[in-house]
Amino acid sequence: MTTARDTIVDALDIESFILCESEKEAKELIGKLMQSLGLPRFVIVSLDFNGPGAHFRVRAYMNKPGDNYTWLQ
Amino acid sequence: MKILLAPLDPVHDAGLKLIKRKLEALGYPCVLLPPDITVEEIGEAAIAEKVDMIFVGRTVGYGVEQLFRRVRHVLTVQGVFDKVRVAIGGMAVTDELAKSLGFEAGYGPHTKIEEIHAMIEKNPELARHITHPVKNKPKFPFPHDNTVKNSTTKNLLDEIVDGILDWTADKSSPGVVRAHITESQLQDVKGSVESYTALPFTRDYLAQCDESVVDFFQKNICPPSVRQITQKEVDAYINRIDIAKRNFHPRVLRHGREKPLVFVQYGTGCPMMDGMHIKVAESWGADGVLHFDPAWGARTEGLMDGFLTNAEDGTPVTYANLSLIRRSLDAATLWTVRAHRGLNTPEIAVLSGFLGADMTKINIVYGSICGGTDPARLTVDGVDAIRTATRYNMPFDIPTNEELAGVPPHKAFAGMLIMAQLGRRLGAQPILKPLLCHGPYIMVNELMEQNYVDYNFAKIRALQALADFPIWPGEPIGFMTHTEEKEQSATTTALHAAMCSTLGVDAITTASTDEAFSRGPITADGRVGSLRAMEEAFRFFGETDVAPTKKADEWRDDIIAGINRTLEAVTEAPSFVDALYQGILGDKADGVYPGRAGKNSVVTAPKPKAVGRWDVTPAIVRKKPVLTVKAVTPGVLPARRRR
Repeated sequence: MTTARDTIVDALDIESFILCESEKEAKELIGKLMQSLGLPRFVIVSLDFNGPGAHFRVRAYMNKPGDNYTWLQ
Repeated sequence: MKILLAPLDPVHDAGLKLIKRKLEALGYPCVLLPPDITVEEIGEAAIAEKVDMIFVGRTVGYGVEQLFRRVRHVLTVQGVFDKVRVAIGGMAVTDELAKSLGFEAGYGPHTKIEEIHAMIEKNPELARHITHPVKNKPKFPFPHDNTVKNSTTKNLLDEIVDGILDWTADKSSPGVVRAHITESQLQDVKGSVESYTALPFTRDYLAQCDESVVDFFQKNICPPSVRQITQKEVDAYINRIDIAKRNFHPRVLRHGREKPLVFVQYGTGCPMMDGMHIKVAESWGADGVLHFDPAWGARTEGLMDGFLTNAEDGTPVTYANLSLIRRSLDAATLWTVRAHRGLNTPEIAVLSGFLGADMTKINIVYGSICGGTDPARLTVDGVDAIRTATRYNMPFDIPTNEELAGVPPHKAFAGMLIMAQLGRRLGAQPILKPLLCHGPYIMVNELMEQNYVDYNFAKIRALQALADFPIWPGEPIGFMTHTEEKEQSATTTALHAAMCSTLGVDAITTASTDEAFSRGPITADGRVGSLRAMEEAFRFFGETDVAPTKKADEWRDDIIAGINRTLEAVTEAPSFVDALYQGILGDKADGVYPGRAGKNSVVTAPKPKAVGRWDVTPAIVRKKPVLTVKAVTPGVLPARRRR
């Protein structure tokens, strides 16, 4: 059965602002966030830390070119 | 039809005032109530004014559902709701919400008056051009004289072009031979993908190929990152594409101006992923798309065949892959297939021409000094490819991405103009493709420290002063001004697009918001982001121009002088090919080197017939392909275009 996740063409991007005290902490928190969402394979596309925290965009690829795409199953 | 317009806001009634003015212009008598009225007063006014229809507006979004539920209740109690048609509108209103509450229709922000008119008259045709816009394929490139206006430049270019044609007159190459074999075979099978894929392979073709291509055909061995796509995948893909086509409503990005057309480059590695990205790009307003092949494809003698997907950048050029992509395109979408820089340039031009591509891409200079192909080889192949482009009526664009390596614009432009004049001499339609970038030469010489406008203006104005060819900045605009941050990336693309609108260029190639992201493939969503940003920039500027400072004129003159200086140096070299080897159009100090792929492969020999049957020796019979191509409707193949 097709799930909503199967209909994602290529990647799921999540962007938000997290409160933290360094870029390193931001990366650790993003890792934990993605694990908690069941998306352990991810890549941080952009991260900008300043003042209260970090503005970030993180990406989990669902279908990469050459894969057997979920949207063709 | 008398209409009551009722604003249910404490102070705002701007939206309904606008609607009133437009409805009255269409001939409908309207009564506009003041703001800050009660729901009960709406019904009372409707009875008193004996209206046929009520349009209730609510700007504030909070609690909108409860409010309109009450409107319906009160109007029902007053005996109005069953006698008078009622529609609603506002920031948080949707048609779904309106209908779920029993209203005739609901309108959110950005509603066009034609849609309201269609609802009032119960005639969807009145808004068809809004709800179902039609986009026709533009006649591209737009008209130009296609002449070099500066006499000094023209004389130098003519001398160089004479030399190129003399030098190549008695030369051929494996790439040229393969192109002619392929063209003969395609003629034999009348362009049928199935028949072409099932053709017996010839010793003549394989004799001109690298071992990896021979292994592919004889042993079914694919390169490491490549696999064959299954028939099931192709069928499911075509089903997806057909769904996308059914739900497609064209969109125009420009606002008031005819130019520039907007192109998107694809080449994710997989023709099916490409196709889905193309549908996304078309749906968000792209006018055209460009096919990019993998780097290894340019350095391999010979093309493979069938539906192939590559797990790395660049989608393999095969007749079947290109057919599948062509099958995916909307009828209004312009399609370009890059041929220009490698060992298969002539053959890709043939495939593109046979499939009815609108354009191709050929630049001997870039391919030789920056694309890794031997200058002598690519000069022979490039001339043959331009002849093919002429034969199939395909304009070709001339990219100057050698600027990204560090070649100064005046040298890159000199090479581009040589190609343009060569193209004209061979009867083709060249398109200049300068790069609007923050490239190494510009960085080192601090030409964009103050702004990104002046030097880019200087580049385009220099070309426009020298010649009147179509100009299409790419690939993509704003190269090396993007960062990984989506907002920044979309903004810089949009601002470059707005600048190009002022410059009056014919087309642009847009980046995605993933342009600077190199740790994974470009996403479909990234394409939407840039296209939306450009649409907004075009809307913002309309027909207003961006103005450079006086510095742009000074730099324009420097570039023109540099172009003529470079062309003069090329004429002083023993030949154009020697000029490429010597680095006159870009040298090691500029960060470029003569390519080595195909070195010593040029042969001095009688050329095969320009068009027609190549003597095929069917000694090696290919294995039956793993898949058939029944899913690709034969009817989608175009009639061959031939001059």
